[in-house]
Amino acid sequence: MRGIYKIYPPEVLALENVDWSLKKGEVHSIVGENGAGKSTLMKILSGLIKPSSGKIFIKDCHVIFSAPYQAMKMGIGMVHQEFMLIPSFKVYENVILGSEKDLSKFGGLLDKRKAKSIIKSLSEAYGFEIDINAAASDISVAAQQKVEILKQMFRKVEIVIMDEPTAVLTPQEIEELFGRLRKLKEMGKTIVFISHKLDEVLEISDRITVMRKGKKVDTILNKDITKNVLANMMVGRDVIFRVNKPFKTPGKAVLEVDNITVNSIKRKTLGPVRFNVYEGEILGLAGIEGNGQFELVEALIGAMALSSGKISVKGIDVTNIAIRDRRKYIGFVSEDRKYTGLALKGSIKENLIMTHHIKNEMHNLPFTINWNKGEIFAQRLIKDFSIVCRSISEQCISLSGGNQQKVVVAREFTLNTPFLLLDQPARGLDVGTIEFIHKKILDMREHGIAILLISADLDELFNLSDRLMVMREGKITGILDPSETTKEDLGAYMLGVKENV
Amino acid sequence: MSRFRKFIVGILGLIVGLILSILIVKMQGKSPLEVYKALFGYSLGSLLSIISTLNAATPLILTGLSAAMAWDAGAINLGQPGQFLIGAITAALLGIYLPFPVWISIPLILIGAAAAGALWSGLAAFFRQKYNMDEFVSTLMLNFIAEYFTTYLVTYPFLDPKAYVASTTAIRKAFTLATPDQFNKGIYLAVLVAIFTWWIVKRWGIGYEWHMIGLNQRFAAVGGCKTERDYSLAMLYSGALSGLAGGILILGGTQHRFMKGIGGNFGWDGVMLAMIANNDVIMTVIFAFFFGALKAGGIGMEFDTSVPSEFILVIEAIIVISVVATRATIDLYGGKLKALVKTRRVVKNS
Amino acid sequence: MNFFAVLLKESINSATPILLAALGGAFTYYANVFNIAMEGMMLTGAYFGVIGSYFFGSWAIGLLFAIISSIILSTLFSFFAVYLHSDEFVTGIAINMLALGGTTYLLRSTFHVKGAFISSKIISIPSWKIPFLDHIPLLGKVISGYSAIVYIGFLLAIIVDIVIFHTSFGLRLRATGEEEVATRSLGINPLTVKFISAVLSGLFCGIAGAFLSLGYINLFSENMSNGRGWISLTIIILVKARPLGILLLSLLFGFFGALGVMLQNSSIPPQFTSMAPYIATLFALYVYSKQKRKGSL
Repeated sequence: MRGIYKIYPPEVLALENVDWSLKKGEVHSIVGENGAGKSTLMKILSGLIKPSSGKIFIKDCHVIFSAPYQAMKMGIGMVHQEFMLIPSFKVYENVILGSEKDLSKFGGLLDKRKAKSIIKSLSEAYGFEIDINAAASDISVAAQQKVEILKQMFRKVEIVIMDEPTAVLTPQEIEELFGRLRKLKEMGKTIVFISHKLDEVLEISDRITVMRKGKKVDTILNKDITKNVLANMMVGRDVIFRVNKPFKTPGKAVLEVDNITVNSIKRKTLGPVRFNVYEGEILGLAGIEGNGQFELVEALIGAMALSSGKISVKGIDVTNIAIRDRRKYIGFVSEDRKYTGLALKGSIKENLIMTHHIKNEMHNLPFTINWNKGEIFAQRLIKDFSIVCRSISEQCISLSGGNQQKVVVAREFTLNTPFLLLDQPARGLDVGTIEFIHKKILDMREHGIAILLISADLDELFNLSDRLMVMREGKITGILDPSETTKEDLGAYMLGVKENV
Repeated sequence: MSRFRKFIVGILGLIVGLILSILIVKMQGKSPLEVYKALFGYSLGSLLSIISTLNAATPLILTGLSAAMAWDAGAINLGQPGQFLIGAITAALLGIYLPFPVWISIPLILIGAAAAGALWSGLAAFFRQKYNMDEFVSTLMLNFIAEYFTTYLVTYPFLDPKAYVASTTAIRKAFTLATPDQFNKGIYLAVLVAIFTWWIVKRWGIGYEWHMIGLNQRFAAVGGCKTERDYSLAMLYSGALSGLAGGILILGGTQHRFMKGIGGNFGWDGVMLAMIANNDVIMTVIFAFFFGALKAGGIGMEFDTSVPSEFILVIEAIIVISVVATRATIDLYGGKLKALVKTRRVVKNS
Repeated sequence: MNFFAVLLKESINSATPILLAALGGAFTYYANVFNIAMEGMMLTGAYFGVIGSYFFGSWAIGLLFAIISSIILSTLFSFFAVYLHSDEFVTGIAINMLALGGTTYLLRSTFHVKGAFISSKIISIPSWKIPFLDHIPLLGKVISGYSAIVYIGFLLAIIVDIVIFHTSFGLRLRATGEEEVATRSLGINPLTVKFISAVLSGLFCGIAGAFLSLGYINLFSENMSNGRGWISLTIIILVKARPLGILLLSLLFGFFGALGVMLQNSSIPPQFTSMAPYIATLFALYVYSKQKRKGSL
């Protein structure tokens, strides 16, 4: 790949003059912060997006990919970070989709039996244990990843690109994945491994390319480098791996969750769950996605009714009160800022004032909103949280992901609530913003706010939490002290190998 | 998008729409020049024309706002035609039978019309809140039911036997809002209501909540907006506006009675207005005057050039499509164009 | 007994246009295109069916005209909604308005009539008598002697089911509707799939329109689709577009429509009997929503 540029409409520069090469049979890692352009570069190679400028050569032949199937023909396949599966489709249907024409009889009628037998033998050949007749939405995340890999094998690709494959896995599952990748390498496949976790990169790769802010910093052989040098190259300055966290003795219980249960037909049920979060404490909640975190969040915020149990904040029973009243006590950063955290098409001002608009100081008549005050308030938050934007009337959709998240955090952290519910507050952000948000979280802890932090990033959990709590299948299976626990240990709890409650 | 850009996009779409309709007129073998001359002459050419433009614009302002308000709040109310009819029949019956003096009757009639419209949309809101039924389907079905129901009323119980078509008798003369030269004074009320609506949307808490719910319902709900109350109020307000439009048409229009097929397309025109205006209050009012001019001009056009007045419906639809498509095109290709320009610049510099 | 035979026959007849439009809409439903332009497509089909049949003296050309005009309209719809990404809802309603205004306008400018156009020169689509069954006393009357389109409609329900659930195209169609980005990553162009689905719905609505003006009765009147497109859309939502479900519900709605027509001679005012299909739609929506609510909690 030579001279690759990518500019996303309207004017976001994602890649700038990147030259990059891949050798047959190697495991090549691309590292960089979120937003460094790793995925964009690989999406261009796999034909999913078109470069704004630049050329791709394969075996010295200039190729132009305008759609993914062209890259697939050249033997390039990509396993995306967000899995590209059709939830209601069965596993084998997901695997054949897009290449199912060869399995069709007259008139495009699918030969389902033949398809199943081919996929079955393929899956056995690679030692994957998956039920090919299960719906994709019913299987675990790790199994979904296997389906994605199977998809690539079915298409007989030579180059497999894996975009952040370890982000959703427990330490044990990551080992399993690495074993699988090594096996693929032995079979002669070329693997591109995208990650921002340096230990993993150093474990698996032959060569490493470092990217920063849309540019390639360098490509180096794995054996010539250490973790610190790599981190320095990646961020452009020294990185503190541990957050400086002053010791603090927790105070009284703020959030009291008393044996709550949630029953729903569609998803796994929650509970009974019982725990407290104390004044000035960060309680980290670990667990594989889909083990009841969603229900817990919905129940705490009031979007889902409890089947039994009681929730109280500062001794006030909030179990049965409306979301509007509940928000006096609970600040909430949602895991998906696009659908819950923000109205993307609304202005920054409109987004910042949400929930604050209920308070009396924002009114001049009881039923009107004092927009002058609202604007002053919005300006203040933009300054305090260093949100980069053109004006308070700019639509949130045109902000960068980091700034969008800052809008959410700014709004929720200024509500003066005794309790903060943080669901993946730093997911998918660049290191600068993550550091900023972590600092703000610790500030809130200093102020004696009780914080429940849900995260899939184990580093984040270990760095910030005062206590760790593990959830599995809707129940709490462990309460751990982060200073006395290893990641592997936590992984064992998450997988259900260990329990201590 | 800023109001200015919205306006420009609207005008651009308008121009595209007018050009397309010129082509259609040409294809029909008529002279576009004459058609547009007639359209202009009968809508703005004389005092009488201006009056008929304003008269046509009056119900349009209200039905347009009705659609715009509901949609802004994320309530898919497509029941303007039905709510309009129910409002109109209520006004007509009150106008016939109300025994009170004028100063109290006229407000009562208008309030009654608005309440009836709100009742009709409220039915859909009730279905949604109580049974979770999509208002998009229920308001549409209620349109048909309203149409048949009002037709029944004027065919059987309230039929004026002297009339040529199925209709009620005329309302009491004293209740009319029209001046001797047929000017509908109801327009003052319509504009007043528009200003009030603007105030709600821009300054009231509920206006803010409506807009946020319309942009992202879940966001608003989690943020503490009273989504259910707001939804119901949006539906009721929207229905009241349509009902009021029907009431004003009865009091201030030329017929002074409810007859089968009255109000023609005012309900759906309102829907189209809101679409062109992208649910913006001020834009809706501006385009309501424009559509009013088209309607007034259309009748004259038929007179002068023998192009049927139904052609106005075609022009309206074409304008809607071109405005909406222009908006989408600018959004889509505007961004791509900017990206292309920036690529050129960045690549050159390095 | 005769009353019921006529009622049944009338039910099947009034079910057919709803069935056809809904089957067409099933394609767009699975491709996740919110196709509310069906009403307009049907109306356009009905008008141009009459044009073709009247001017060329052939029902076949009428049918062809109906299909072509409806497909043109659906192409227009998908050009804006799919390729330009304009709001599907707004575009669909605008297309309906265009169809309503356009046919009313053309009716006047072509035939110089208001309201409806009736002529003996409109050749209707022939009805089929099934050779042997026709002679069986009661049964023959009920299942034989319909317009050809009725039989085609029933057949299409089965064919559409096979296409959507058992073919390569169906797989891609459903995948596009569910996860557009994932589908794109597998080398399928979702826009093309959506476009094809819209064209297919145009095709079906065209046939439905032709049946309205050339099969059921022999005339064109203003807004003669009269909400059938909306009812079809409701049916699609209610049965999640499963073709056999569409068939069943269409028959049910056909029954209510027929009931309305049959009761017109009774003492009930015709306006109330005409409301039957719309009230039935509301009721069906009520039943569906109530069930859905139970399921989600």
